[in-house]
Amino acid sequence: MYCHRCSQKAAIRMPHHRLQLCKEHYLAWFIEHTDHTIRRYHMFDRSAHILVAVSGGKDSLSLWDVLWRLGYQVDGMYINLGIQSEDDYSNRSQRYAEEFAQQRSLKLQVVDMARDYGESIPEVALGSHRGHSKPCAVCGLAKRHVMNRAANDGQYDVLVTAHNLDDEVAILFGNTLAWDTDLLGRQAPVLEARPGFVRKAKPFCRFYERETVAYALLQQIPYIEEECPYAVGSKQLRYKTLLNELEEERPGLKLNFYVKYLQARESGFIQPRPPEEGTEAEAHRCPSCGQLTTSSGLCTFCRLFEQA
Amino acid sequence: MPVTLIYRKQEFQLEGTITVKDALQKLNLSSASHLVTRDGELLNDLEPLRNGEVVKIVPAISGG
Repeated sequence: MYCHRCSQKAAIRMPHHRLQLCKEHYLAWFIEHTDHTIRRYHMFDRSAHILVAVSGGKDSLSLWDVLWRLGYQVDGMYINLGIQSEDDYSNRSQRYAEEFAQQRSLKLQVVDMARDYGESIPEVALGSHRGHSKPCAVCGLAKRHVMNRAANDGQYDVLVTAHNLDDEVAILFGNTLAWDTDLLGRQAPVLEARPGFVRKAKPFCRFYERETVAYALLQQIPYIEEECPYAVGSKQLRYKTLLNELEEERPGLKLNFYVKYLQARESGFIQPRPPEEGTEAEAHRCPSCGQLTTSSGLCTFCRLFEQA
Repeated sequence: MPVTLIYRKQEFQLEGTITVKDALQKLNLSSASHLVTRDGELLNDLEPLRNGEVVKIVPAISGG
């Protein structure tokens, strides 16, 4: 099986694009395709000061690598969640992120939840109703808060995350099953800035997850292969497995689901819910962390940590 | 000597020449969710695996 652009052996076949490429042409295609997505959705330009959220995994390190190769001004941030497993998950993930940054002389900011906020995510989750059985909800809330705070404090123009198409489609699938029109309306490649909240963009939103893995492998980027111990058996993982079974039978199904959703959103068929009257005006600064919140008193994040 | 496939610290063995896609199928794994490498080289899903070779199966989905 040969590359569609030269006579070399193909390293990857992408049936949904009817494309098979060798290592060299795949890496070039992947970088070019990322830049194309950035421009297609008006995510940012080369004058922007970008913060990328890195986890030490294949998606975020690949994204940082591609943005760096494309010449964007991009710094990284890693959040050590304090997840201890037999593989020492959080500390090992941090080392992958640090080594990546060091090798390319890039700036990486590390936030350690236990050191900087007094408690690790599993500890906070144990003390809360929200995450008592599984810390994923607490983890998501904490990451969003800490990333937004770092992006605001560092005066970054945009916060980028490495959500890939499989992530987006699994979320879309879950929200569609529940007919959660509010959440459906909020899903997009770019989330515009609101008072107190930085602009967010997802430059990998059109890549299948196996494509980001292939990029990391072919570019020889070391990353943490182990799954977060709390993700095992998660709903999102189940949706991804199901959708991939369908994808094998009907190549392009996932891409089509996502692209058609974006078209429906653009045409007004699915609309983000407008903020309730007075909500924006009622937002105030959290007396503890100073971030904008609509909760009365402390923001949800600070309340959670205080409770714990 | 059969083909050895290493997946999440476990070893599986399959006999005879077989494509990557068919090998994954025999292990009940989807080729949309996994990639295979041999000595660090990424193999396309139609690449044949031969007796005696050792390959690694890399999961291509994660979630949380």
